[in-house]
Amino acid sequence: MLTVLTPGGSSTVDAAREGESLLVDPADVSVVLGWELKPEGLCRGDVCVPVRDHAALRHGDRVDLIAAAELLGLTTLVSEEPLVAAISVPAGARSRTLSGRMAADFVLPDLDGTTHSLEEFKDRKRLLVAFASW
Amino acid sequence: MVIAVALDESADDVREFAEGISFPVLLDRDHVLAELYAISNVPTVVWIDADGTIARPNSAEVGTDMFVDFTGVRPDEHMDQIRAWVRDGVVPADADYAVADLEPDEVQARLAFRIAAHLRRIGDEERAGTWFDRAARLAPMDFTVRRAAMPLRDVDPFGDAFFELYGEWQAAGSPYHGVPRS
Repeated sequence: MLTVLTPGGSSTVDAAREGESLLVDPADVSVVLGWELKPEGLCRGDVCVPVRDHAALRHGDRVDLIAAAELLGLTTLVSEEPLVAAISVPAGARSRTLSGRMAADFVLPDLDGTTHSLEEFKDRKRLLVAFASW
Repeated sequence: MVIAVALDESADDVREFAEGISFPVLLDRDHVLAELYAISNVPTVVWIDADGTIARPNSAEVGTDMFVDFTGVRPDEHMDQIRAWVRDGVVPADADYAVADLEPDEVQARLAFRIAAHLRRIGDEERAGTWFDRAARLAPMDFTVRRAAMPLRDVDPFGDAFFELYGEWQAAGSPYHGVPRS
């Protein structure tokens, strides 16, 4: 089993490590990445990232999660034992929000576990304070 | 309004800070904010306008006078600047600053930290330690990577390890992803 850690949370799917590849069921690509593998590409809603070489992504009836993540501009880091993959946010999106001075949205729980997003408090000035007990 | 985000492992670590506070206090165990906003230390403050644009990017600000001697950061000036922004939309001259994007190693460090924190949560402290070490090697000047790991490894984040890190950081020219201190 593979535990995938993404900025949106963690999920556990069946996977096999083969060389540098992490092979998962095609249906699990959307579970893990939020993007579904279709003939037209990796899609979320109406948006599709084209896949030029489907064969490079597929290993038999499985899909290489690392190659799929790479197509989406995501960096993956893998722990072999136990099998854990941490996947980044899209590098291009961060670079655009930083240089374009746009506040990136996020979803996080409060101390009682209720989730909130930055977007939820839109249309007013917000002072975002990152702090810690350490 | 204020939105506070704690880069902490558990809600219990944060509760004492949130006591009597009416604005949202969120918990960011996996340092999502540190990745999205290229935050490399706390406290870091970001001013966000009503339309979602950043009025003043990442800056190191504190809310108390407690650390003035240590950091040279004066909270009263920041408070006045916030009032001027909220009331009149006026931002200080240093607000026009582009925060440097994370280097690939800094992204990798955040991923390594996330793996370490996960391994610790499932009780594999030994492997967690290896990944915390790897994260520290990838981003040695990043407090959200190195100092945040201290309490997770039973190291006092206000003790010798912190002062050692602080010394290394100063010797390296106090690198920070945000508005430089004048």
